[in-house]
Order: sequence, then structure tokens, then C-alpha cells
Amino acid sequence: MIGKRESRRLAALLIPGTLFLGIFFMGPLAVMIVFSFLEPGLYGGVEWNFYHLNYGRILGWADAEWEKFDPVYAEIFFRSVRLALTNVAITLLICYPAALWVSGLTTRWRTIVVFLITLPFFVSLVVRLFCWVLILRPSGFLNSTLLGLGLISEPIDIIYTETAVLIGMAYILLPFMFLPLYASIEKLDHSLVEASSDLGASPYQTFLRVILPMTLPGIAAGAVLVFIPSLGNFIVPDLLGGAKVLMIGNLVEQQFLSARNWPFGSALSVMIMLVMLLLIIFFLRRIGRSEIVK
Amino acid sequence: MRKLPTRFACKFLTIAKFSIAFVGAMVIAQSANAQGQLNVYNWGDYINPEVLTRFTEETGIEVSLDTYGTNEEMLAKIQSGATGYDIVFPSVHMRDIMQKLDLLHDAKVNTLPGFENIDPANMRSKVDPESSYCLPYAWGAVGIFYNKAEAGEIKTWDDFFALPDKGKKITMLDDLRETIGVALIKNGHSVNTGDSAALEEAQAWLLERTDKISAFSYDIVSLVQSGDIAAAHWYVGATLYTLEEPDKLGFVIPEEGATMYQEDICVLKDAPNKDSAVRFFEFYMQPESAALNTLQQVNGTANVPARDLLPQELKSNPNTNPPPEVIAKLQIFEDLGNDLRKYNQVWTKVRTAQ
Repeated sequence: MIGKRESRRLAALLIPGTLFLGIFFMGPLAVMIVFSFLEPGLYGGVEWNFYHLNYGRILGWADAEWEKFDPVYAEIFFRSVRLALTNVAITLLICYPAALWVSGLTTRWRTIVVFLITLPFFVSLVVRLFCWVLILRPSGFLNSTLLGLGLISEPIDIIYTETAVLIGMAYILLPFMFLPLYASIEKLDHSLVEASSDLGASPYQTFLRVILPMTLPGIAAGAVLVFIPSLGNFIVPDLLGGAKVLMIGNLVEQQFLSARNWPFGSALSVMIMLVMLLLIIFFLRRIGRSEIVK
Repeated sequence: MRKLPTRFACKFLTIAKFSIAFVGAMVIAQSANAQGQLNVYNWGDYINPEVLTRFTEETGIEVSLDTYGTNEEMLAKIQSGATGYDIVFPSVHMRDIMQKLDLLHDAKVNTLPGFENIDPANMRSKVDPESSYCLPYAWGAVGIFYNKAEAGEIKTWDDFFALPDKGKKITMLDDLRETIGVALIKNGHSVNTGDSAALEEAQAWLLERTDKISAFSYDIVSLVQSGDIAAAHWYVGATLYTLEEPDKLGFVIPEEGATMYQEDICVLKDAPNKDSAVRFFEFYMQPESAALNTLQQVNGTANVPARDLLPQELKSNPNTNPPPEVIAKLQIFEDLGNDLRKYNQVWTKVRTAQ
């Protein structure tokens, strides 16, 4: 039991953090939710009138004078979710074996490799993505290498496609998958792996029944960390997708800048947040349950 | 977001901002005997830095420069109460909005010495046709920047849209008004129409072509130079590159017509240094200053005598200094008011079409 004095001390310690979150996290969030129910101002900003048509445009009712209901917003949303999930799968497939390998290295090499993985953060994201434009373009590094090796006879069209967007997103988000995976794989108790093979399990069974369940929290953390920025990303679709692979992030950006429709942008953001919240709750519950089973 | 070819991407100005802040700090550190201060808020890479240096040399007024990437970004910042800026460079339709929103100071520009140098044709504002509030700054056409080896000679939008059928790549600007504007021009409408039927026509016209357009992008200069993109819808600032490699690169204002941009220099209502701003207007209305700027910006200047000071390659260039019959075919954007929402819907449709 915590004594009265101690609980008071705890409360005092919690106040700064709570206040900080309340003001700088919940505050803007509240502004966004309120704005999403207001009329767009003519030149940006809002008119203080209740206006439900922001959601109407997305979900099926609209005034038809200025905007029609259009399933295009739902379509963009599902496309974004599909791309984000694909990106989670790609980064997982690359990072899991890599993390397994790195965890088997000597301490010195491990430090070096982990440092190398975080190294790209030192260079501006835009510069790194623009390098990908130079690599992927028809006369770029990738195509000239493949052509030189005689593997292809004509340059392949990658730049300004969905593939280019996936490459770019996987590239920038790899560390976010790698680091949590590595953390959980490194903590793996190797005596359990040995015990499993001593008891006659094949390497495949050992992986599936022992290693995988024990690293599941790392997978979950990595998946969430990659999924969320993938879904909201707008720089990669702009630069590598040529703004033609429109994602929900681009749509929100368009509302706040060129379209000057803040309430609609807010409504879109609220919708994304709701869906993500539900997904994550569902996800964490599943993982939580599987841990109890273990 | 028109402007200078060197700009990397209007949305990603952070790097530029840092470097400009750095240069600005150095400039401030250099001259200690300050005669005043002028805080400039401009598009990225939209003024020749030498113009500002010379202004400081001549007047002793220190200049600090901050940049933005879109009119909307600037408006949002000013509306949200950003103080400290003295002059801004909005596009004509945006300066009309700002004047309506009472954000601008009436600097009585047309009474200042040097105003006789300004071409009346460049006084394009609807709400301030006499140019009392703002000084016409620079203008230019938005046409087609192309690689001659890949695209051959381009004269019209039809030539441009015929390229993809020959296996060549084309791109258009990632800007709803510019790109929908081309569709409206091709269908014989004003780029400022609010008519739903006209916009539907433009939408259908663009949708027929979306699979031909490789990308909507500003950042294509190096790709046109390398020939990866045969031709791109782009700003007249591309002339900087076509003059460097005239055999390889070209720029054209399409025969069917095109859009144009113009920015004015305005003083903000709550500008702390209105006197410095007036000094800057007087300085910039001198033909030498405007010419110095145009030399680096390779676009059109509103200053008539300045045009004569330019080197022959710019003076006789049909793109940077187009003849009147070409100018007549250029359309400038006006404020759309609520009709912008219709454009926004068209733009979303066009960008989602696969």
C-alpha cells in the first residue's frame, strides 16, 4: 500500500507530465475535432457554424452544391491502408532475418551495425528520397546496371509508380522495424532455443514455436511504428510517386494548403485517427492475449 | 512556387530556410552601423540576393529574409498573427485576398519617385487597379520545358500530349490551378471559371490523359536534362537552363495559350518598418535594381526601362519577353472564392485516377 504522503508526492511528480500532455497533445487534438464540425472559411480558417458535411463528403452525404459525395475519399483511404500494410510486411521480411543475424554477432560488431542502421537519420529525408529518384529513373543507377549486365533489354519503369513509393517507404522506415525487433530478439533466452532442439524439434519448429512467439512483442511494436508513419506519409508519394499515387496524407495536406479547407482536412485526420486507434487496440489485445497463453 | 529552377521542392524549404537564416546572420554581423531594418518574407529563391546586398549598401538598412513555398502558407502565417515581417510577395490573386482581409498597408506606391517606370499592363490587381497598395514585381509564363533530343520541337499542348504515344514521358505541375488551368484553356474556358459544366469538361479531358502523365511534380529539372522526362509543364524560369544548353533544351509558350503568374510586393498592415519598406520600393523601382534581379531570375519584370538594360539573349527571348500577341493569350489566376472547392474536387479525382 502506498502511504498518503507518498501518493501526494507521486501526484506532484506526475503533474508536469500530465500538464504537458494535456496542453500540447490533447489541446491541438481538441482543436482538430472541433474544427472538423465547422464550416470552412473562405480564405482558410473556419466559420463558427456547425457543419456536418465534412464527414458527409467522406461517408455518403454532401450538399452537392460545392461538393458531391464521392467514394474517392474512401478509396484513397483503403489504398493508403493497403500500401501501409504492404510496407509493414516488406520491412518485417527484411528486418527479421537481419535482426537475427545481427544478434548473433560479437558485441563490437553489433554496436557498429546498429550505428550504421541509424546513420541515415543524419541526412535530410528529402535529400535521401531525391537520391532514390536518381537511382530509379530510366537512365538511373538501377536501370543502367541492369542494362549493363544484360539482365534487361529496356529500362524498366519504376519511378512514379506504386512500386517506387513502396521502395521509398520501406527504405525510410526500415530502422523503425529493425530496432524494436532487434531489442526483442537480442533478449531472447538462447537456452530455450537449445532446449527445443535438444528435445527433438526441427529448426523450423523451434522458430515457429519458440523464437517467433517470444519475439512477438517486438514484431507488434515494429509493425505499429512502421504502419502509422506509412499511412500518413505524403513526401514519398509526392517525390517517388509523382503525386499520382495519392495517399491520405497528401489529401490532408492538400486541404490545409491549396484547397484552404481546414475543416475537411481535420475531418479526414479525425477519421484516420479513429481507424488507427481501433486497429491498434485490436492489435495490442491480440498480442496481449497471446502473451498470457504463453 | 513558380519561380526559380534551383528550388528543390516548395514544401521542403527547411534546408533553404536554415541556410538563409545563416547568411542573414552573417550579413547582420557584418555591418554594425544599422540605419534601420527591413524584414522580407518571400518565396524561396525568388529574389536575387545581390539586390538585397546592394539595397543595404545604398541605404544602410539591414535586410532579413524569410521564405515560404506557397501563397497559402504565407497567408496562413500572416493570418495567425505572425508579426515582424514588413514586405511580402503574394501572387496577384492572393494580394487581392489579403487586401480584402485588411492585411495590407496602403503604401501609396503610385506616388513614389520611380513609379513612372512601371508598366501599366502589370497593374493586374482587381481591387487595387491603380497600384496604390503594392508594387508589381515580376511575372512569367507557365509553358513547356523540354529536351529537344527526346521531344523534338514542341509548339502546342497537342504536341506535348502526343509524346506519351511515342513512348516518351511527360509531367505536369503538382498544382491544382495550373494543371486544371491547362485543361480549361484547351477546352476554351477561362482559367477562373466557376461554371460546373466547364469544370466537368476539364475534368473529363484530364482524366482521358492521366495515364499519359507520368507525374505531377515541380522537381523535374534534372530529369528533363537527362532526358528521362521528355517534356514538362513548367515555369519560364527554365530559361536559365535553355540558355546554358540551347541545343539540348527548349522552353515554349504553347500556341493554344497558357497561364501566367505575377507577384507584387506589398507592405503588411502591422509592418514594424514601413519607412524601410518605402525605401525598398524606391530602390526597386530604379531600372538598375529590377534589371539586376531579372538577370538572375530570368522572368519578366514590370519595370519598362529595366527591360532595355537586359542582355540581348533575354531581351529578344520570346519566352521571357513575349510579344503582345503572345501575352494576349496568357491567362492569370484570380481569386476563386468558394469555387475553389469545385477545383479541389476535380483535382482529387484527377490525382486518384490510375
